[in-house]
Formats: sequence, structure tokens, C-alpha cells
Amino acid sequence: MTISDETLMAYADGEADAATRASIETAMRDDPEIARRVALHRAMRETMQGAFATVIEEPVPERLIAAARGYARPATATAHSAVADLAGARNAANRKLEGSAARRWQPAALAACLLLGLSTGYLTWHGSGTLIEAKADGLIAGAALADALSSQLSNDRSAGLVAVTGLSFRNKAGAYCRTFLLSADAAWGLACRDRTRWKINALAQAANDTNNANFRTAESALPAPIRAAVEALIEGEPLDQNAEVAARRAGWATTTAH
Amino acid sequence: MSTNEGLENIQEQIVALLPRLRRFARNLVRNPHDADDVVQIAVERALLRQDQWRSDARLDSWLFKILRNAWIDEVRSRGRQAKIFMPEEHGEHVGEASMEREIDRWTAETALTRLPEDQRLAVSLVLIEGLSYKDAAEVLEVPIGTLTSRLARGREALQGMLRLPEGDVS
Repeated sequence: MTISDETLMAYADGEADAATRASIETAMRDDPEIARRVALHRAMRETMQGAFATVIEEPVPERLIAAARGYARPATATAHSAVADLAGARNAANRKLEGSAARRWQPAALAACLLLGLSTGYLTWHGSGTLIEAKADGLIAGAALADALSSQLSNDRSAGLVAVTGLSFRNKAGAYCRTFLLSADAAWGLACRDRTRWKINALAQAANDTNNANFRTAESALPAPIRAAVEALIEGEPLDQNAEVAARRAGWATTTAH
Repeated sequence: MSTNEGLENIQEQIVALLPRLRRFARNLVRNPHDADDVVQIAVERALLRQDQWRSDARLDSWLFKILRNAWIDEVRSRGRQAKIFMPEEHGEHVGEASMEREIDRWTAETALTRLPEDQRLAVSLVLIEGLSYKDAAEVLEVPIGTLTSRLARGREALQGMLRLPEGDVS
């Protein structure tokens, strides 16, 4: 009985139908040569299964996880840039801080701004677990960031703060919103009060120098995506210090239109 | 299931598949960084087109197909043909030693790199990724007969390079 090698291969791969399977199994019993050829196909299958096995063991780059969750910038634009994701941008920003005293915006810094759509999914923000938390309806400020947003005034530049608050304003619904800079991450964000939480509306990575002298002038250093988000939400003027103190005293509770 | 849950669900399923997508990409593009770029492009496309995924179809096959197409587009658009999957020099060692039972992974990979692209992808999808012939044929957008013959030729060539212990193919 002659059986083509492709048929034996399909059998070894579990692709043969029941009738073919039965006839091959009969043939294997009768003809050691056929049994040997099937064994060869199976051995090949086993051997190739191990190929590139180390890739499976490797940690998956953060930028790919971010892309799968819908948070990455298009790969086509960033394929070989040093800043491919938030973690990368943060590292780049840190390297910049260490290696350079340059404090002005670079074109690359603008390109590194990353506005995140926050309606679904969540962000794994490594090393900052208490700053950003994922909830079913989006991102909210974690305990440390919420504390900063609720308690700090915008002129607070004390050392060791996890976040510096920038601009405070009311949105069109009367809720308070504040911009902030995560000190460790060189990331800017915008959060609005949502009942007792601070909901994150936007986050942007700024790969510029973030020393204290710079973020005193919060408005000018605000990354374009955050500035755009502020402009889209703001109703009236930003709060002055007295208004901030009053809002803080009221627990940043939503106020009716003034 | 709400739309939101469906969305998060597919995203997390894609995250879970990333190791395999990366592995398949290494069969397309040798340079690991370039391979990951192709994975990223594919994943972004997949999210944009997730409404095209039929939930009765295997997500992995669907993603492999997007990945392969992303790679083809990349090769075309970047003119990176020359960089794509150059066989490695250490291929000379193949077949020198007696391979016995343990044919190491490195040798299998090296042998794989020496296959023509059509055969390499068929072998990769069926033998490494474990796709059925039907699913692999769909990924490669060829009839199942074409897939089968590519796979058979690829195996035969690998057999010649690897010299599996059972002896020569008759």
C-alpha cells in the first residue's frame, strides 16, 4: 500500500479524517517503514515546538502591553525612537535629568507627549501604584495622588511631594479640576473631582526637565495635550489662591454655577 | 456582556497572546527590536479593527494574520527587505554533530531561518504555533492544499538539515 508523505504528515499533525486515520494505522502495523515515517514527522513536530521557546519566556516589553491595552502611540511614528511608551518616556526623562542641565523644551519633548484615552481599559503604571488606580470606569487618583490633589495648594513646592498641583479650575458642570505633575514620573495630568474621587481625565508624558524652578511656571510647561484638555473643560478663570483655599475647605465639592 | 467588558476582554486576551505574537514575529523578522515593532503595529491595527473579529474565530489566528500583513506592509513601506530575516552565519554547524534525541533549540531555529519564506511561515504556524492546517492557510491567505505542500516541503528541508535520529527520509 502506498501512502503519500503528505498524508502521513497530516496524520502525524492530527489532520487526517477518521477513515484515513484508520487505514494509516493499519498500514503502520503492517509496514514498519510507514510507522518509521510517521515517527519522523512526529519527531519533527516535537523538535520545532522548541524553536524560539526562549521568546515565550522573555518579559514582554511594556510598550507592547500598552499597545494591546490601547495606550500606545502609533508604532509607525515611534518605531525607533527612544520613547516608545510611558515607562520609556519616564526613563528618558530621568536620563535627561541626570545627564543634562538643559531646561528648555526640545522638539522631541513635544513629540513625547502622550495623551491617553482613559475611557476603557487601564494603565499599568509601574512604580507608582498609589498614584494612579484603574477602575471599571477609568483611571482615578490613588491614595497618594488624591491626598496631594485634595490638600495641596498650587503654590506648594515643598520637597518630597509625590505630585505638584498646577492649575485649579471649575469645569462646565461645576466640578473642580486640577492639573498635576507626578514628581517621579515627569508626567502631567488633569484630574476632576467626581464625588469623593479624583478622576484622571488626561495624562501626558513630558520628557523635559522637571526641576522645581521649571514647574513654578506651570502654565508654560504644561504639555500641549494637557493644555488642550484644560481648554476644553475650563469654565471661567482658573482659581486664585483664595478660591483654592475655599474649595479645599469645602472638600472640593461640586458647586453650582456662580 | 457590555461593550466595555468586551473591549477590555479582547485587550487582555491580546496581552495574553503577546508572547506568541512576538515568537511568530521572530520568524518574520530576525532583529528582535524590529520584530517587536511589527507586533506593536499589528496590535494597534487589531484594536482598530476589533469589530471585524468574529468571536467564533480563534483570536490567535486572526492576530497572526494581521501581524503577517503588517509585516508585509512594513517591508514594502520601509524598504527593509534586505534586513528581513537574513540567515545567520552559524548555520554551518547544522548536521555536523550527531543529533541524537536532543536537537537543541538553537539548531532548530537556525534550520528554520534557512527555509524559504513560504515554507518557514507554514512550519512556524503549524509546528510552532500549533494552528490547524485550515487556520494556518487562512493566516497565509492560501488554499489549504498550498499550505499543506509548503509544510511538507519545509519539513523535508528541515529533515535534511536536522537529521532526526529515526534516519533518512525515504
